[in-house]
Amino acid sequence: MKFEKKRASSKTEIPTSSMPDIIFMLLLFFMVTTTMREVELLVDFKLPQAEALEKIENKRLVSYIWVGKGAKIQINDSIVEVKNIQQIMYGKRQALPSIIVSLRVDVGARMGLITDIQQELRKAYCLRINYSANIKI
Amino acid sequence: MLRKKRSLEANIPSSSMADIAFLLLIFFLVATVIDVDTGIGMTLPELSDLDPPPVSKDRMAAVLINENNDVLLDHEPISLFQIKSTLKPRIISKIDLPKKKKLIVSIKTDRRTAYNAYISALDQIKMAFFEVRDEYSNAKFGMKYKDLSKEIQKQVKDAIPIIISLAEPEEVK
Repeated sequence: MKFEKKRASSKTEIPTSSMPDIIFMLLLFFMVTTTMREVELLVDFKLPQAEALEKIENKRLVSYIWVGKGAKIQINDSIVEVKNIQQIMYGKRQALPSIIVSLRVDVGARMGLITDIQQELRKAYCLRINYSANIKI
Repeated sequence: MLRKKRSLEANIPSSSMADIAFLLLIFFLVATVIDVDTGIGMTLPELSDLDPPPVSKDRMAAVLINENNDVLLDHEPISLFQIKSTLKPRIISKIDLPKKKKLIVSIKTDRRTAYNAYISALDQIKMAFFEVRDEYSNAKFGMKYKDLSKEIQKQVKDAIPIIISLAEPEEVK
């Protein structure tokens, strides 16, 4: 008696013609989900809401100052003291004379701190500022 | 009798895959919002030792916000959300006046005032100016301010300039 394994006679091939499309879709998926963040946020903050908002047209000119909970101030990638703001921002202004400083401040911050930061900015001659806010729905 | 043999090769039609991917691409292109920075723009005054030039009382609208977030507009206590409606008639009354007599809104806060209240107040003031601009452009040119051409926008800007002054902080902490 001859034993023979019974095999399905259909061809078992994975269709590969759609492979590029799948890769294309993967590329799209990652393109869509990637957020481009250059700085790592070290402060925790929630932006206030407002209605009379303006858009900053030229993103290249924007430089951020974050003020989070517990009066922490972040510029670039590090937490800074109020007294150091002037020096840092003056350097930035020299590189980019028409700089816009975007203040991303937590809703619960106190105006005393904001006033101090603004005084430092005035000393550094960064006069164009923008209070970042989300649109009120 | 002959029976038709069923072919065992099963293929997924793949010719339309590219079209589906393309449609997806277009969908995401349209649906993606590149987050634009929005906020309230301001220009800080230059630092100078000179005293600010005296300004006549009727040009000024002084907004004071204390640590309990109460608002005082020209010595009258009002709520935060009344600022817009109170300022609007005052801005309108100064449209036809020369450049040096337009309304100046000055904001002063306490060191303990919440940032949120300050932004709300600033928002109200900005909105008052924007609404007056819109009404003025509508009455004069039949269009909203943002739809006007650059030159006419400048004309409206000259008629209704947004002058917001941040009061010098007090030295005492």
